[in-house]
Amino acid sequence: MLGLSPAVFLEARAAEAKKKTRSGNRSGSAEKIIAVSPKGTPPPIHLYSMAPRANSLDGKTIYLVDATHFDGSETLLLKIQAWFQQNMPQVKTVFRRKAGPYAADDPKLWSEIKANAYATVMAIGH
Amino acid sequence: MEKMGVPAIPMCTVAYKELSKLTAARDGMPHLREVFTPHPVGGKTPDELAAYIVNPDPASGIQIMKEIVDDLTRPLSADEMKSGVQSVAAGPATFGPDTADNLQELFMTNGMTDYMPIIIPTEEKVEAMLKGTSHSPDEVLRTPVQGVGYTSARWGFNVRQVAVNAVMAGCKPEYFPVVLAMASVGMLGLFGSTTSSASAIVVNGPIRDKLNMNYGLGALGPFAHSNATIGRTWTLMGKNLSNTGVLGDTYTGSQGNQLDYNNCCIAEDEKNSPWEPLHVQFGFKAEESVVSLFLGPDIRQGHGARGAGAEPAMFDQQISFMCQSTVGGSGALAILDPLVAQRLVAQGYDNKQKLAAYVYNNTKRKVKDFKESFLAPFHLYPLALQGREPYATWYKMPDDAEIPFFISEKQINFVVCGGQSNAFFQLANMNHLRSESIDKWM
Repeated sequence: MLGLSPAVFLEARAAEAKKKTRSGNRSGSAEKIIAVSPKGTPPPIHLYSMAPRANSLDGKTIYLVDATHFDGSETLLLKIQAWFQQNMPQVKTVFRRKAGPYAADDPKLWSEIKANAYATVMAIGH
Repeated sequence: MEKMGVPAIPMCTVAYKELSKLTAARDGMPHLREVFTPHPVGGKTPDELAAYIVNPDPASGIQIMKEIVDDLTRPLSADEMKSGVQSVAAGPATFGPDTADNLQELFMTNGMTDYMPIIIPTEEKVEAMLKGTSHSPDEVLRTPVQGVGYTSARWGFNVRQVAVNAVMAGCKPEYFPVVLAMASVGMLGLFGSTTSSASAIVVNGPIRDKLNMNYGLGALGPFAHSNATIGRTWTLMGKNLSNTGVLGDTYTGSQGNQLDYNNCCIAEDEKNSPWEPLHVQFGFKAEESVVSLFLGPDIRQGHGARGAGAEPAMFDQQISFMCQSTVGGSGALAILDPLVAQRLVAQGYDNKQKLAAYVYNNTKRKVKDFKESFLAPFHLYPLALQGREPYATWYKMPDDAEIPFFISEKQINFVVCGGQSNAFFQLANMNHLRSESIDKWM
């Protein structure tokens, strides 16, 4: 290839492209076509009623759960715990760390909360 | 917890407001009472975090502690008590009739492409693609499920829907079995994590030559139609079949990843490799065609390794050095030019397992460095608390003790390709996800 001007190749390519356009390149064509959707199928959504609320937190227990272990989430929840102790001492708070990495389930903790708590505040990130 | 009858307040930073609300809606509680702090929480001092909770939620404008108390005591509205099943559509089954240019624009503006021109998937082209497999177009590869997986709702898809995406990427019908084998893995392209992790695809077996895949000069570059389009399909399938590419919703990668355009579609040079091919290591027969998927943060050139200019080249040391700067736990896939593999054989590595053992034994770090590494605080420490090894033991060791960088030698894989124009390698910081037979999808 050494010694040949690149222009030789460019001219050949241009001629080839011209030929292709004449023989039915559809780009820019006014012809109308139908395209099939590439989308998958989303699942239906099951709606759930939220849990009923009490009209006061007096005498209630609230679990403060670090669900992700992300930097700062435990400190934030401990600050919330301190706020309750100072401003609403009639509310009992319990701090817990969810077991496992952030995406893992912790049915044991959920059962403990269900058995012992009125409500939970969960730090889910970031 | 709300489903169990316990009032619950999820808290996250306002940067995830949309994602959080969409996730709650997909999981069946579109009116879930969420509280948002300013962003970020990470890196803030205890005093700054104490100030967060007595200042307004940036989304609602209500003081955060007042909002928490109110959300736990305010009676439910009619909308919050709704139950039942709500069907969801992904949009129309077809688009047009319209011109090719207008459809090209429509697909792009509706987030169905990678922002490069596509082949418009007409019924005729999809039918032609379906001729590339003996499987029924209606065969389901994945069933839609609510509320599971990284993106909360897992979309379903069948062979025909995969074919539409293969057409868009520019695949020929003979490539289709590779694409179906990839789709059968279940988890598709575009990993939604903030880490911007990406994928690599490795093809082994006779199909590489049938499809003219490039495993020689420029193997990882844009020099073969089959490598280019098969790799591209992985991302289009993620976007369209799994809905994984919605920015700020199902995709949160802070910087994104260039690998997502083609997913580093590699064909192994089995002829010039001195070792057994990757798929044989994973238990497949040599004469079988197989696709293997890898997932992790990045791929980097080996030129940066300590000793890269030393003579004679000690590639075992160079690979180990490169591994030391990867995200520990995310695995390694070393992509070696045949010249590198041959040199390693001359060093005494007559199989990949010996080399993996060397790398495993020569990539160490201090316990303190492990504890301060990226995945450790929020992913590995919780596992240690559950007693999962080796993390439980590592967390009990003194900070200056030395521990292996990888969990096992099996996390270290090798694949051979390249044109032998020079002895270079690249290192993918990626774990093996799964391997699937392509022959099953012929």
